Amino acid sequence: MKQHPLCTDCEDPVTPLDLPIPAPVKQEWAAIETRRRFLGRSGKVLGWAALAGLFGEMGLRSYADGGDVKSPSAEGRNTLGLPHFAPKAKRAIYLFMSGGPPQMDLFDYKPNLASQFNKDMPDSVRGNQQLTGMTAGQAHFPIAPSHWSFAQHGQTGAWVSDLLPYTARMVDDLTIIKTMNTDAINHEPAIMLMNTGNMNSGKPCLGAWLAYGLGNMNDNLPTFIVLQTKTNPKQNNQPVSSRLWSSGFLSSEYAGVGLRSGADPVLYLADPAGVDRDVRRKMLDTVEQINRQTLAEVGDPETNARIAQYEMAFRMQSSVPELVDLSKEPQSTWDLYGPEAKRPGTFTYNCLLARRMAERGVRFTQIYKRGWDVHGDVVGVLPVLCQETDRGAYALVTDLKRRGLLDDTLVIWAGEFGRTVYSQGGLTQDNYGRDHHPRCFTTWMAGGGVRPGITYGETDAYSYNVVKDPVHVRDFNATILHCLGIDHNKFTYKFQGLDQKLTSPVPAYVVQGLLA
Amino acid sequence: MIAAHKLSAAIRSLRIRTVTAQWLCTLGLSAMLVMLPFAVRLNGRPHADWLQFLGRFHPLLVHLPIGMLVLLPCLELAGTTRPGLREGAGFVLHLTLAAGAITLVLGISLAYGSGVMGATVTRHMWGGIALLIELLMCVTVRPAWISGQLQRVYPALLTVSLLTLTWTAHQGGSLTHGGGYLTLYMPGALKGFFPSASAASDAAYVGSVYTRYIHPIFDAKCVACHGASKEQAGLRLDFYELLMKGGRDGAVIAPRSPDRSLLLQRVTLSPSDRHFMPAEGRAPLTADEIAALRSWILAGASPTATSIPGIATAAENADLPLQSVGDYSYLMNEIRQMQESQGAKLVAVSAKPSDGLILRTIDVASKFDDAQLARFQRFAPFIVEAELGRTAVSDECFDTLSKFTNLRALHLEGTAVTGRALAKLSSLSQLTYLNLSGTKVTSGALAPLNGMPNLRHIYLFDTPAEPASVATNSTPRSTQ
Repeated sequence: MKQHPLCTDCEDPVTPLDLPIPAPVKQEWAAIETRRRFLGRSGKVLGWAALAGLFGEMGLRSYADGGDVKSPSAEGRNTLGLPHFAPKAKRAIYLFMSGGPPQMDLFDYKPNLASQFNKDMPDSVRGNQQLTGMTAGQAHFPIAPSHWSFAQHGQTGAWVSDLLPYTARMVDDLTIIKTMNTDAINHEPAIMLMNTGNMNSGKPCLGAWLAYGLGNMNDNLPTFIVLQTKTNPKQNNQPVSSRLWSSGFLSSEYAGVGLRSGADPVLYLADPAGVDRDVRRKMLDTVEQINRQTLAEVGDPETNARIAQYEMAFRMQSSVPELVDLSKEPQSTWDLYGPEAKRPGTFTYNCLLARRMAERGVRFTQIYKRGWDVHGDVVGVLPVLCQETDRGAYALVTDLKRRGLLDDTLVIWAGEFGRTVYSQGGLTQDNYGRDHHPRCFTTWMAGGGVRPGITYGETDAYSYNVVKDPVHVRDFNATILHCLGIDHNKFTYKFQGLDQKLTSPVPAYVVQGLLA
Repeated sequence: MIAAHKLSAAIRSLRIRTVTAQWLCTLGLSAMLVMLPFAVRLNGRPHADWLQFLGRFHPLLVHLPIGMLVLLPCLELAGTTRPGLREGAGFVLHLTLAAGAITLVLGISLAYGSGVMGATVTRHMWGGIALLIELLMCVTVRPAWISGQLQRVYPALLTVSLLTLTWTAHQGGSLTHGGGYLTLYMPGALKGFFPSASAASDAAYVGSVYTRYIHPIFDAKCVACHGASKEQAGLRLDFYELLMKGGRDGAVIAPRSPDRSLLLQRVTLSPSDRHFMPAEGRAPLTADEIAALRSWILAGASPTATSIPGIATAAENADLPLQSVGDYSYLMNEIRQMQESQGAKLVAVSAKPSDGLILRTIDVASKFDDAQLARFQRFAPFIVEAELGRTAVSDECFDTLSKFTNLRALHLEGTAVTGRALAKLSSLSQLTYLNLSGTKVTSGALAPLNGMPNLRHIYLFDTPAEPASVATNSTPRSTQ
C-alpha cells in the first residue's frame, strides 16, 4: 500500500494488539473478531443508535419547549397541578441556625440533670452510636447540665431557657418540636439533608422545589431569596455555601438568589453613568435574541434559565432599592425589632427584610445565621448567639402576626442537628463544650398551617434519644410542604430514572400532630 | 395386505403419540399459566415504566380476542351447512388463542407495572388465565371433534369459554368504569335482582353526625380501596350497612368500644406498621378525624344521631370548611385575556377548580383602582381571596366586593379605604379574614362587622382603631 506523504505512521500501524497483553487473550480476540461478528454487531449498534436518537430528541425537545421565559409562573406551571390542595400558607421564611444549637440549653428542659453534674452518661443511653472524631476518643462522657435556668411561659406553659427572653414571649404562637432527628452527625451532610433531603450535594433545596412548584407571586422579585448574616469572628462559623440554595437538577432559575449582607445587597444595581433604562432594555433584548438563537440551536434548558435571570436582574434594578429602603418604616417597627435592625447584615436586619419580602410576595426567604457550632466555651459563646438572634426571630413572628401575615406565612426556625448532653473537652463548674448530636434536637415553626402553642414529642432524661413522636428531617420537610398545599409524595421530578422528591425515596410522613 | 396393516398401525401409534404430546403440551402450558400470578405477584407496588407503557395497550387489544371468540361459535354453527366456514373457524380459534395470550401478558404488565391490587383485579386476572387455558383445550380437542370423536367436549368447552369471557369482561369493565357502572341507572324493578345495586342509600341519614362528619372521613381516606371498585379485604366503607357488616376479618366497628373496633385500631397504628391504614402511603387520618371516629363509636356508632358530645364542638372550633365555588375552567380564556390586559392575576388556589381563584394585584398595585376591580366582577363567584393591599382602591371598591359572594379573605392593608362602606361586606357570609392594617379605619366604622360571625381574623395594625396591644405578652409562670 502506498503511503500518503503526510502520514507519519509506519507501514504496519500500531494496533491495540501490540499492547503488552497476554498471548492467550490476544488469540481469543482474534478468534472472536470474525467478519460475520463484526457485521452482525454493526447492525445492532446502528439499531441502538437510531433508538437513542429517537429518544434523545424527544428528551431534548421536551426540555427546550419546557418553560416559557416571559411568564415562568403562568401556563407551564399549571401542568404540575400545584398546589395539590388549598394551602394554609402561601409563603415561608426559614431561619436557619447553622452549626447546631444546643437543645438542652434553649428548649429541651431536663431538670434532673443538675444532680448529675460531671457523672458519666450511662453507656446504655449512647448504645452503639458512632460519635464524631472530636469526642469518640474521650475516656469519659461527663454530663454537663445547662448553665441556664428555665421557666414556663405563655398560656400554654412551654419551657424556654433564660437565654431566649424574647422567644419566651411568643411561645403561644410557636409549634415547638423537641424530637427532630437526622441521619448525619457532621455539618456538611447534615445541613445538606436539612435543606435538600439528601446528604449528597446535587439535589434541589426546599426553596428551589417551592420556586419550581409554586412559582412566584411577584414578577419583580426573585421567588426564593437567601439572606446571610454577617459572621461574628469570635464564633465557630461553619461554611455555608450556595450548594444549600442550589436548584440541583431543576432549572437554575429556581435556585435561591443570595443578597449580600452589607449595605449594598446587590452590587452594580444602578446602571452605569450614561446608560439609561432604554439603552439597558435594548441591550437585554438583543442578548435575549442571541440567547434564543442558541436555545433553538442547542436546546440546552440552561439557556432558558439564563434568559429568565437576565430579565429578573433587570426588574430587580428597580424592585430591590425599594425593598431595602427602610426609611419609611414607622417607629413601631424600630420599637419592635430594636436598634440592631438598623445595621445591615445583622440577623435582626435580615428578619426585617424577610417581613418586607413577605409583604411583597417573595415565596421563600431563607436567613442563615452561622456560629451555633459550640464545641467549647458554651457559657461564653451561647449568650451572644442568643442575643444576636432572639429578638429578631420574635420581632419577625410578632410583626407578621400584627400585620395579618402570619395566617398565610410559615416561619421555621431550625439548625442541622442538636448537641450532646455530655461535655466535649473539660467540664468545669462554670463552663463546658458540646459535640454534634443527631438523635434529637429542637426546632420550631409558626404561622400558616401549624398548630400554635404546642410542644411536640418527648426526649429521654438526657435529651439524647427520642422517647415519643419522633420527627425525622424528611417528615419535617413533608410537613412544611403540606402547609404549602403540596403532597410531598406527588411532587416529583423525573431525573436519573427516579421520580425524585424533596423527601427522598425513603418513606416520609406528614406529622399530623403538628398541623392546625 | 400385511404392509397396509402395518402402515395403519404405524399411523395410529403416531397419531396417538402426537395427541399425547399435544395434551402434555397443553397441560404444561396450563400449569405455567396457573403459576404465572405467583411468579409475578401483584403486591401493590409500581414497577418499571416500560411495563406500564406496554400494559396500557391491554384495554385496546383486549377487544380483539373477545370479538373473535364471539365469532367462533357463529362460524362453527354456520359450518354445519357451509363446510368452508368450519375450516375458517379452526383458523379463528388459533388466532383467538394467540391474541388472548398477548392480551394476558399485556394485562399482567399493566397490573404489575402500575402497582394495582385488589379483589377485582385479581378476579379479572384469574378470569383471563382460565379463559386462556380453556382456549388451549379447545385447540387441543377440536381435531378430535372434527374427526367425529369426542362429540360433546368441544362444544361444552366453547360454551364454558364464552361464560368465562362474559364474567372476566365484566370484572375488567368494573375496573375501568367502577363497580356500579351497569346498575347505576338500572330501573328500580330490576335492581331487586342485583343485591349490590340495592345497597342502602345513605340518603336516609341526612343531617346525622354520621353523614356530616364520619362518612366524609371514609369517603376521603378509605373508599378508594374499601369501596365498590376494589373492596379490599372484603370490606366496604361507602355505606353505613356495609361498614357495620365488616369484612373478611369480621366486624370493624364495635359500638361503644372504640378500643375493640378493628377499624380504629388499624388507623392508629404506627405509620410504619405493616397493618397501618390507609395503606400504600395514602394520607393518614388526622388527629381530629380519629378523635371524631372515637367519639362516634363510643356513643354507639349510630347512623341517625344528630349530636354527639365532642364532635360538633371540635368542628365548630375549626376553620370554616372550604366551600366549593364551582368550576371556572370554562372561563380560562377570558381569565387569560383579563390577566394580559390588566396585569393583575387570577391565580388558582389549588389544582382543584372548585377551590376558587385568588385576585393578585401586587405587580400592578399602584395602578390598580376601583374601575379595574370592577372589571373582575365577571369572575366574582370564583374569587375567594382578594389581595388588594397597597392598591389605589377606595371606599368605592366595596360595591364590587359585595358581589364576590364566595370571598373568604380580603386584603386592604395600606389602601385609602376609610371604612365608611364596610357595611356592604355584611352579605359576604364566607368572609373570615379582613386586613385593614395601615388604613384610616376607625373603631366606629367597624360596627357593621359585628354581625358577621364567621369573620374571625380582623387586622387593624397601624390604624386609629388599633387595639392597645396585639403582641403576645406573657409573664413567666412559677416553675412547677
